[in-house]
Amino acid sequence: MLTKKEKSVVLVQGVVKGSLFDLLKKRKTTDIVVLEGRPNLEAARQSTKDLAKRKLIPTLIADNMAGVLFYKNLVKEVWLSYQLTDENGALCDIGGLILAVLGKRHNIPVYIYPSGRKSKLLGVSGDILKFNGTRVAPAGVEGYVPLVEWVPQKYITKTYE
Amino acid sequence: MIKESPLFWPAHMKDGSLYVLDETLIPKKVHYIKVRNTQEAVKVIRDMKTRAFGQFLVVLNTFLLELQNGRALSKEKLIEKIKETAEALNNSRPTFPFSEVTSIIVGWAQKASAENLDLIPFVTKNIHGYLQGIRYRRLERVQKIAALIKDGDSILTHCNVSGELAMAAAICKDQEKQIHFFATETRPYLQGAKLTAWELQKMGAQVTLVADNAIGSLMADEMVNKVIVGSDRSCANGDFANKIGTYQIAVLAKEFEIPFYVLTQPSNKIKSGEDIPIEVRDPQELLNFSGKRIVAGEVKGFYPGFDVVPSDLITESIAIDVN
Repeated sequence: MLTKKEKSVVLVQGVVKGSLFDLLKKRKTTDIVVLEGRPNLEAARQSTKDLAKRKLIPTLIADNMAGVLFYKNLVKEVWLSYQLTDENGALCDIGGLILAVLGKRHNIPVYIYPSGRKSKLLGVSGDILKFNGTRVAPAGVEGYVPLVEWVPQKYITKTYE
Repeated sequence: MIKESPLFWPAHMKDGSLYVLDETLIPKKVHYIKVRNTQEAVKVIRDMKTRAFGQFLVVLNTFLLELQNGRALSKEKLIEKIKETAEALNNSRPTFPFSEVTSIIVGWAQKASAENLDLIPFVTKNIHGYLQGIRYRRLERVQKIAALIKDGDSILTHCNVSGELAMAAAICKDQEKQIHFFATETRPYLQGAKLTAWELQKMGAQVTLVADNAIGSLMADEMVNKVIVGSDRSCANGDFANKIGTYQIAVLAKEFEIPFYVLTQPSNKIKSGEDIPIEVRDPQELLNFSGKRIVAGEVKGFYPGFDVVPSDLITESIAIDVN
């Protein structure tokens, strides 16, 4: 991956409507990188399934791994899922703000695409204390689990309806 | 007397063997792996049973092991053995600057040979002295970190800072500073969830675990006012490498004007972060967890172990000199 051509990777973050992948397929996009989407890994699971239907094989990364792709100048564009939008920005799946700010620092376009679902604003502490069903955190530790966050308009290049 | 975290000094010699804290078993169990030679030392490093400062300790103690194992060897053979040990450790993982540490020991062995000194006691004594010096400097840095932390601070940290942050938290608690930590879980090995949350809690600190993707939300909502992280490798221009995810935390901290502090071991061996080799590990370590696949269907994985933070994103490096 680190030896790929500069600006070749399309990053997809959050649970997006499957139609995004029709658009990407039409553009003959091959290097699609999907972020796993803690706490429930829903984004990874949904996007992988939707991509498989279109015979596209994505590369999965953890949510903390996008930065290195920007640093290495590999990212061509970013797609974030949003649940609602207005003139000030969009309510995106958690993690969207990280990619939006990285996009700004590296001058990479950040597109937002409808999620087609409404999630809760906050998960429960226990969601983050386990991974893939296995308890990982010590007893007594609390978790904070925001599931969505606001991405201000200044970071968004284009909103898709 | 500073209360010590097991992660502060996670490897030690006892009865002629090296014992390395198996960090992959925490918080379930505190267990030390017995290491008897270079091959076993390389394995604990490659398998990530230890990491960060633990690797440094394993390197130095492995030379103690090999000096002990090589008592019957001639001086020439022993130097050869020391060089082989250095080579094996240097090739264990790419990002941590193993050669910067091993070259010190090889240098001592060569000096002993050139000056016709008794090699084993000379190098052994130097390693022990060096370890004591590092220990003292790290304890000093713990005090510096505690002084940096103010009453009311809410601190974001990433991965694990090998005991120092947790020990600083214990000092702050004694000083009756009200502080709070947010620890990122740090996929895929979850060192934040397993190690940092555990040791902060053990030291009596308040800690909340967050997903790696929640750091923007924390910063935008002004829930943290400082970031403190460790580092694995530093460059002459001030850039550093640390656990994957540190770069995006630093970028967000800059964007939201949150001071970003890093604990470093300065080095001028590498000019800038561009030159740091980034370890890319087996994607199966990302795609599987506890023996279970995390995503069904056909998917590739990409697992870079580290990223690089340019110096312009750093508010202050809290350095110790390890040379």
